[in-house]
Amino acid sequence: MADSADDTDEDLLAQTGRGDRSAFAALFLRYAPKVKAYLTRLGASAAAADDLAQDAMVSVWRRAISYDRGKARASTWIFVIARNAWIDRLRREKVEIAYRLENPAEEASSEELPDDAVARSNDAKQVADAMATLSDEQRQVVRLSFFEDRPHAEIAEHLALPLGTVKSRLRLALIKLRTHWEKYS
Amino acid sequence: MSPRHHPTADILAAYAAGANEPGFGMVVGTHVEICAACRAQVRAFEAASGAALSALAEVEMHAGALERVMARLEVSPGASVANDTRPLLERLPLKRKRWVAPGVWVAAVDAPHAPENRVYVLSVAKGMVSARHEHSGAEYCTVLKGAYRDEFGMFAAGDFAAADEALNHQPIVEGDEACVCLFATEGRLRPKGWIGRLAFALADV
Repeated sequence: MADSADDTDEDLLAQTGRGDRSAFAALFLRYAPKVKAYLTRLGASAAAADDLAQDAMVSVWRRAISYDRGKARASTWIFVIARNAWIDRLRREKVEIAYRLENPAEEASSEELPDDAVARSNDAKQVADAMATLSDEQRQVVRLSFFEDRPHAEIAEHLALPLGTVKSRLRLALIKLRTHWEKYS
Repeated sequence: MSPRHHPTADILAAYAAGANEPGFGMVVGTHVEICAACRAQVRAFEAASGAALSALAEVEMHAGALERVMARLEVSPGASVANDTRPLLERLPLKRKRWVAPGVWVAAVDAPHAPENRVYVLSVAKGMVSARHEHSGAEYCTVLKGAYRDEFGMFAAGDFAAADEALNHQPIVEGDEACVCLFATEGRLRPKGWIGRLAFALADV
């Protein structure tokens, strides 16, 4: 390995961009322990921080060709790669968690709406027609959830039903309403 | 035309640090992509973070980490990746568009990393007046196309607006084209109209 002690970080990153593996190795020794420290501060466990720091350094190798020393210092450029590695990691974990819990995201969102901009412009009759397609039991949970704005747990208690039953009844009702709704779209 | 309404410095700082709420970062990023001034500010924050990174006390890597990484390297660094230059609206991972009223459609953005927040695109036809409404949690919005006006002024393509529970406003679509906005909305809302709430539930937002 060539002696790279006198090279600046920017020199090493530019050489890495030209495919110089020993420059990359020198950059790794300077930065991987700092990237690991940064990831640890963000809350990664020691093992995860080590893995992620390795991944980030592989990204440094892959993208070094696009590094422009006129635009950013090497530390800034490496910080952005480490930050993005962390965000991607969170994204992956959240996805896995969401799927494991049978996608609570959809359940939560089905009770909420961004604002009531649509409320007044919507045709009440269309909704009434759609509601008429539901069974009495389905209509009851839809009314309690959307009209009275009650949490699922409270509906379950009120109707003396298991929480899962309330949720699945609501989900089926929404599917049915949506199918009806599509005819208008 | 460059945007006239920008995120505050603390929102941009959080964005640069990757610390925005999931989903909200997407709305800020949309503005930053369009706005040269905010891009420069984000770059300044990133440079400060880079300096902080190089000043951090090192945490030793596992023995053999360097060898493992060296073994993963391709022969030469990858070719530089071309930026996707399509308009943002085409690049967003939108779920199905659903019409929720005449002239109004909404499409959820596929953002599985943000299960607690809603991220969606709302399009409202020209001349539509939305109901006066309040916000019960934080909401970020970047205008993608068209324009709207409320008590705070005119918001056109690229403009950013942050709302919190104190905001009570009545947006009106301006001009000849539909106003299309990207939103991220936090937390549980207490909507007033149950029909509207149901309509949005049906739209899967």
